[in-house]
Order: sequence, then structure tokens, then C-alpha cells
Amino acid sequence: MSDDQIASGPSAGDTEPVAASAITSDRRQARRENYRLLIRRPSFIIGAVIMAFWVLCAVVPDLIAPHHPLDYRTDLNTGPRWGNLFGTDRGGRDVFSRVIAGSRDVLKLAPVAAMLGVIFGVILGMFMGYLRGWFDTIASRIVESFLSLPVVLLGLLAVTTLGKSNIVVIGIVATLFTPVVARTVRSAVLAETELDYVASAKLRGESTMFIMFREILPNVSSPIIVELTVRIGYAVFTIATLSFLGAGPPPPSPDWGSQVSDSYNSIVSGYWWSTFFPAMAIASLVIAANLIADSVQSVMEGS
Amino acid sequence: MSDAVPPAQAPALKVEDLELSYRVRGVPRAVLRGVSFEVRPGEAYGLVGESGCGKSTTAYAAMRYMPSNAVVDGGRVLVAGQDVTHMSDDELRRFRAHGASMVYQDPVLSMNPTLKIGKQVAECFRILGESKEQAAQSAREALRRVKIADPDRVLDRYPHQLSGGMLQRVVIAMALAGDPSLLVLDEPTTGLDATVEAEVLDLVRELRSETNAAILLIAHNLGVIRTMCDRVGVMYAGRVVEEGTVGEVFDNPNHPYTLGLLNSIPRHGVRKTDRALFTIPGNLPLIGTDLPACVYVDRCPLADDLCHAQAPPTVELGSGHWARCHHADRIADIVPPEHEDTDYSIGEETIVQLANVSKTFRQRGSDVPALVSIDLGFKEGETLGLVGESGSGKSTLAKALLGIHAPDEGGSIELDGRQVRAKATDRRVESIRAFQMVFQNADSALNRMWTVRHILKRSVTKLAGIKGAEADRKVNELAEAMRLSQRHLDMKPRQLSGGLKQRVAIARAFAGDPRIVVCDEPTSALDVSVQAAILNLLANLQNEERTSYLFITHDIGVVRYLSDRIAVMYLGRIMELGTTDQVFRGPNHPYTEALLSAVPSVDGRTTDRIPLKGEIPSPANPPSGCVFHTRCHRVVMGLCDVTEPETIELSPGHSSKCHLTAEQLAVPVTITAAAV
Repeated sequence: MSDDQIASGPSAGDTEPVAASAITSDRRQARRENYRLLIRRPSFIIGAVIMAFWVLCAVVPDLIAPHHPLDYRTDLNTGPRWGNLFGTDRGGRDVFSRVIAGSRDVLKLAPVAAMLGVIFGVILGMFMGYLRGWFDTIASRIVESFLSLPVVLLGLLAVTTLGKSNIVVIGIVATLFTPVVARTVRSAVLAETELDYVASAKLRGESTMFIMFREILPNVSSPIIVELTVRIGYAVFTIATLSFLGAGPPPPSPDWGSQVSDSYNSIVSGYWWSTFFPAMAIASLVIAANLIADSVQSVMEGS
Repeated sequence: MSDAVPPAQAPALKVEDLELSYRVRGVPRAVLRGVSFEVRPGEAYGLVGESGCGKSTTAYAAMRYMPSNAVVDGGRVLVAGQDVTHMSDDELRRFRAHGASMVYQDPVLSMNPTLKIGKQVAECFRILGESKEQAAQSAREALRRVKIADPDRVLDRYPHQLSGGMLQRVVIAMALAGDPSLLVLDEPTTGLDATVEAEVLDLVRELRSETNAAILLIAHNLGVIRTMCDRVGVMYAGRVVEEGTVGEVFDNPNHPYTLGLLNSIPRHGVRKTDRALFTIPGNLPLIGTDLPACVYVDRCPLADDLCHAQAPPTVELGSGHWARCHHADRIADIVPPEHEDTDYSIGEETIVQLANVSKTFRQRGSDVPALVSIDLGFKEGETLGLVGESGSGKSTLAKALLGIHAPDEGGSIELDGRQVRAKATDRRVESIRAFQMVFQNADSALNRMWTVRHILKRSVTKLAGIKGAEADRKVNELAEAMRLSQRHLDMKPRQLSGGLKQRVAIARAFAGDPRIVVCDEPTSALDVSVQAAILNLLANLQNEERTSYLFITHDIGVVRYLSDRIAVMYLGRIMELGTTDQVFRGPNHPYTEALLSAVPSVDGRTTDRIPLKGEIPSPANPPSGCVFHTRCHRVVMGLCDVTEPETIELSPGHSSKCHLTAEQLAVPVTITAAAV
């Protein structure tokens, strides 16, 4: 008796035109391939360079910033000049140094908040997509109602009732993200549940938990990773918004959102720089995160 | 089937030494390596071969429909004398509108789901320069031409509202819009039921005589090629290795590969008790690798030093039949496996008994009975073949048995005389271990993120209840029994070929000690040579493990080879049940009779096909009386449409759910025009 042997490599010409592109070999190589594709994308490189710059600022601000962010100087509201590249604010502090130092707060909070939101979202979405039935119906309604709440209103409400603290900020952001992530994960899990390996696991007597988290979860990891990178960008934005609204650290602190809220009144007096530069910092970080997220997404979906 | 075509005419399609490769990351990988053949006007030419041999690429090349990384390295493709490979975009557009058209495998993917049929069909005529009104009129005519009785109703529908067979007719109508001189059909009936397939093939045959278009037909089903084509080319590794009239090639093959393919098919009523199926060892050479002097040398039972050293000559065998082989004269040396008379003894006691099992789905507030009062018993080591059109309830029955869908209250499933719970998740460990399944699509059935070793080890742990080093040993044993190597164990499913994936799935089902295994079309996605190896494996495992099978398939040859008994289902009811001999000897229930007559045979025997009128009715709204009476060719009006027949015994062990007696059913039926 003979055998249908796999020939020397994988994907032994099973498909016709597709086979040509399917001659990739094992998983590890595919991952390395993904990585290569990723670092070749200009958008990823730009995003990563900006991101790396802000991470450096957050870790060792003294290396880059010429002044201490809380140092009061004599010259108030001077425009950008040599020595004060971004000018000084109404307290006479160097805006450039404050922007550099301000990256620390947001870079500490954003990934943690995004990560928590994704974790809760994955768990919720997993149960919704796998269990379906009444649980899914009820959870879907709750998710939808959450998605229709205005972020600002919810943030203000939470800050006024729970007080100002980093924990509250992280909690708000994670709560806002959970339903969004849950919805993405739910639809990915719904599609997976239709596949026969799930039926096969049931026929083997596996528990629901095992099927959800050991069988299905690895198969929906791509959308989850994409979701995480996208959420980090949104988290930066949301955290800046919250601290602009006063949920962040109090005024003398160099946090970007607080800086903007502290000085935007003086734009009308022509002192645009103390608002403009921290705002640009926020924008650059959000854009960097989104550039990275876009690249990750297209590489993941392309493979 | 005529071979009287005047040789003077220019061929409708002439492929000359076509070499084509796909560029993957800059590296060319050769797919076609000098393909030559021609299709004469009005002729139907078939291309056969295993997946990966380049037959679809050839078909697409004839239309110059190729992915952007395809490069023609040499040769020409002439359609009615025009070189397709060197056409400008404008010429190509005109050529595809008027000169040639193509019908693809999946009609659902060929249509735009958001546009009505009418708009899409009319568009084909708009392209030809007709006005809107003309095009609408032409669309109606086109549908009438493909024997659609009520074109206006169909034109007003969306693709998802039509059945696969109906949709394929629409696609054929669109392909014929420009009155092409060449029609390329790429596996046009592969996704369709045998009965629908027979209808579509009949249609193509009729249209052929009307239009005089030449046909290039790609199919992996050799029976389809045999009944449809005048001549056939057998492709292997990007070359044509044998060519001739279908009768010559199929009845008198002269290339070892052709013979291998033909011998892999269970035919001439061969049974598992007679002998193992013939298989072709090894695999197609990988696309893009260097080929040996004779492309088939690595798998050929006749290969010798000469075959390694020299490219084989083209051996002329008369009347246009030739084969590319050094040893075409020694073809008779290849013998099929010997008669073994393996003793597939079936146990006495019933292992699994279904009694009065029904399944009703709730759909938008109304009840849809998908299974109606099924009684069925399985003896130890017995294979029960289950056949019927899609929608007849075969899979629902399997899922009810396995506990994937809990059946309705009132029925019972017994294992060794003890009733088991309805849902798999509620069952005791022993019952879970007793029922296993091999799925149709191994890609879906194997977790793609797990390695083969992980998949098997988990199954061993859960189904055999052993852990650690002992489980590892058991995994190795299993792999060996399935002829999977250690290397395969560390791979992910997508790195394996279709046949290997199915082996992993079978290994998983046999990880414990299953009493009954449901096989849901386990070989329908595989090439015949691989199918043969899988069927041999299943038969051997059954003989060693004394497992019972519920074997679902639409391939009559396969069901005949493997089954001890056969059940025929229609609309959730078992219409006929008997031993394989009884069912194939007849007399049969009229539905079985029609099913059996629809199968295109590789042996070229033309039976009078009994057409099944219309489509299978919706189970939500079954016909009155006998559910089959709306499509039955033996219907007795006044009886069949009023009273539901009891199940009667035609002979001991052979039952039929029909009002007609064995004597009445034995009378040959004449197909009148009114019946069609």
C-alpha cells in the first residue's frame, strides 16, 4: 500500500496558483517574514522613530531637556528663541523642557490602560461569541449603550465622583475600551466557533473554558494584537483629554493635557507656544501609535 | 461523442509548448513545462490530473487570466488562430467578449451578490454593444437557452436566492452571451450534488450541439470527463503525458500514471472484501523543482535506469492516441492489488441503536423537521453508508448521533443497550469516547495554531485517559499506524498536504477506542489517488479495531466499496435501507433509482438517467403524503400525494418507504417527455 506523502517541503502543490505564494515554510519563519515586512514599511519606521524618541524622553528627560520642568525663570511668556526653543509659559518655565518631561505621565498610563481594556474586552468578547444566547444578547445591549456614551461626559463624571488619580484615569480608559474590544473579539470568535475543530473538541469532552481559551484564543490572536496597538494610540488621546479636563495631575506638573488646559487661555494674548507645543506632542504620539498600528494590521492581515 | 471532425479546420484552441512560471519573491517557480494540445472546433477536450499538476493554470492561460506574478516563459496559446499571449489590452477585451469565455467552479463566487441576476446577465450583452432594452430581452433569451423555465422570476432574484445548480446555469448563460468559439469550464460541477451535476452536464452537452463551441473541460472526476469529452489529455507535473479519445485513454491506458489514476477509483463494483484499492505512491513533484528525465519516474512501478537517464519518447498508439513513456508496451506488468478476501466479519450484537430519533429546528417561529423518526442500528465492525442529496438530513443525523445537536424528546440513542444523553457535553466519559468523527474538511477540523503532536496528545489524554510519557508513546504509535512521520508531528496542519491532514484527523478519532466513527465525506476534497489510500486506511483500521462507521458520501463508488449496508435519506427520512448488494441489485426505492442513475461513470456505460424534477423541497414545508411524490417518476396520483407510505420489506433486511411493492418497482420505467 502506498502513501500520500508530503514531499520535501510543506504545501506539496495542493493548490494551484496559490501554491506559488504558499511555499513559505514553518511558523517561525512566517513570523520572521512578518517582522521583515514590518520593518520595511516606511510608515512603521516613522512611527517607531517618533515613539522611540518619546520613550527616551520619558525614561531620561534630563538628557534632552535643558531645564527642570518646574524651574521658574524670570522671563514670562517669551516666544521661541535660542535657549528656550519652545518659549516660556506664563510661569516663566521652559516649554521645551516641560514637553519633554510631560511624556512620562502619558507613556506610563496609556499602555497600561490599553492593555487592561484589551484584556477585559477579550474575556467579555470571548464569552459573548462562544456562549451566544441570552448572555450575548444582554452583553451586546450593554456594550452598545456604552459605545453611545460621550467620552468627555463619562470622564468628568468619574473624576468628580471618584476623585483625581492615575488609577481613576486608567480605570476610565479601560472601561471605555472594553466594549469596543469585546465587539471585535466577539465577531472573530463567532466565525471560529463555526469551525469543526470546536465541534471536535466538544466530542473529546473538553470544558468550555478549555475550548475558549486554549483552542479558540490562539486563533483570534491576530485581531487582538492589532486591537492592542490601535488602542494604545487612542489611550494617549483619551488620557490627554481627561487631563485637559482636570482629571490628570494638578497644574505645575508638566503633563501635556494639563499644560494645554493651563495655558490655552493665553492664546488670545498671542502666547500660542505654550499651548501649541504640548498639543503637537500629543498629536505626534497619537500619530506615531497609529502609524505603527496600521503597519501591524496590514502585515497581519496580509499574511 | 463524435470523432468525425474534419482535420482541415483551424483548431479552436492550440496550446504550443507552453511554459509558465509563478514568480514568488523574485524566484520563478515553473508550473507548466511545455504543455501542448489542441481542441478542434466543436470538440470537447478534457484535462485530468491530480491537484497541482497545472490543469487549472492551463485553463486560465487559455483565457490569459493569470495572477500578476505569472510569467509565460515560452510557447504560444492560439485561440482560433489568434495568439492570446501577445494581445494588447484592447484586443484581449474584445477576445474575452466574443472569442472565449469561462465558467468557474463556484458559481456563488462568480456572481456579484449585491446585484440582481437580471442586471448581471444583461451586462454581458451591454458589453457587446446592445441597448438597455435589447440587453434585457437578450438576458431573458439567454436564460431560456439554458433551460430555465421561468426566466423573469430568476432575473428578478439575487444570487443567494438561487440554488447552486440554478446559479451555475446562469453563469453558463452569461458565458455563452458572446457566442464564443471556445468555452473553458473549470470544475463546473464539483460543488454540486450528483443529481444536479447530471442536469448541468446534460445542459452543456445539449448546448454543445447547438452552438458548435469548442469546450475545454477541467475536472478531477474522471467519470465527468468520460461522459462529456471526445478527447482527453492526462497532465502530470506541468506536462501532458498521455492523450487520446476518452474511450482509448480510459479503456486502454498506456501511461503508468493514467493507469494509476484509473485504478485508484473504486469501480466495477469492487468491495473492500475483494481487495485493497490501488494507490499511487509518493507525491507530485513540488512546483518549481527540477524535474527528472521522465516526470513520473519517482512514482512509477515500471521505472528503470533508462527512465532516469532519458526523456521518454512519444509513443504513437494509433488514431491520435499517444503516451510519453519508455515502457508503454509493458503497461500490462502493472497489476492491481491481489484479491485478498479479507474477512470483514461483522459482529452479532448491536452496538449503537437509534430509535425514533427526530430533530426539529425552530426557525423564525416555525418548526423545521430536519430528521423524522429515524430507526437505525449498528453492529460491531459494520459500515453503514448514508447517501442522499444535500439537504436530505445526512449531516443532521450524524450530529444527532454524536450529540452535537440534541435530538428531540421521545427518541433514544443506546450504546450497548444503555441510553446515552442527548448532548455530547452531558455524556459520561465512556460515551464520549465511544462516539468520534472524521470531518469532511480537515482544514476546519484541525486547530491551525496547534502542532500535530499537540493535537494528537490532547486527544490521547482525553480519549484514552493516559498522560505524560505514556501518552507520548501512544502518540508515536498512532502516528506510525497512520503513516505519519516524526517530522510531520512537529508541523502545523497548514504545512501538510490534504491527505496527510485527513490522516491526522483520523488518528485523532482513533486516539481512544471509539465504538463508532462518523465519517462525513472524508475524501471528497482529495484526489483519487489520495482518496484510495485513505479508504484503505479506514478499512484496515476497522478490521483491526472492530469499529463501526457511519459513512456519509455522495460518491456511489466509494459507498459501494466501503459499506456493508446503505441507507438512502430524503427530507430527513430513510427511504431505503439494505445491504450493499441488495441496494445495488435492486429493486430500489424510486429515489435511490434516480440517484444511482445520475452518476457519471468512468467506464463509459451510459445508463438512461432518471431525471429528478425540480429541487429538493424545503423541510419546513414538506409535501403531503409521500415526501418524495413531487419528484417521483413512479408516482401514483391519488395515493402517493395523500397517504404517507409505511416502510415495507422488499426482501429480508431490505426495506423501502414506498407504496409500491418489490414486483412493481422491478418493472423498468420508461421516461416519458411528461416526466422530464
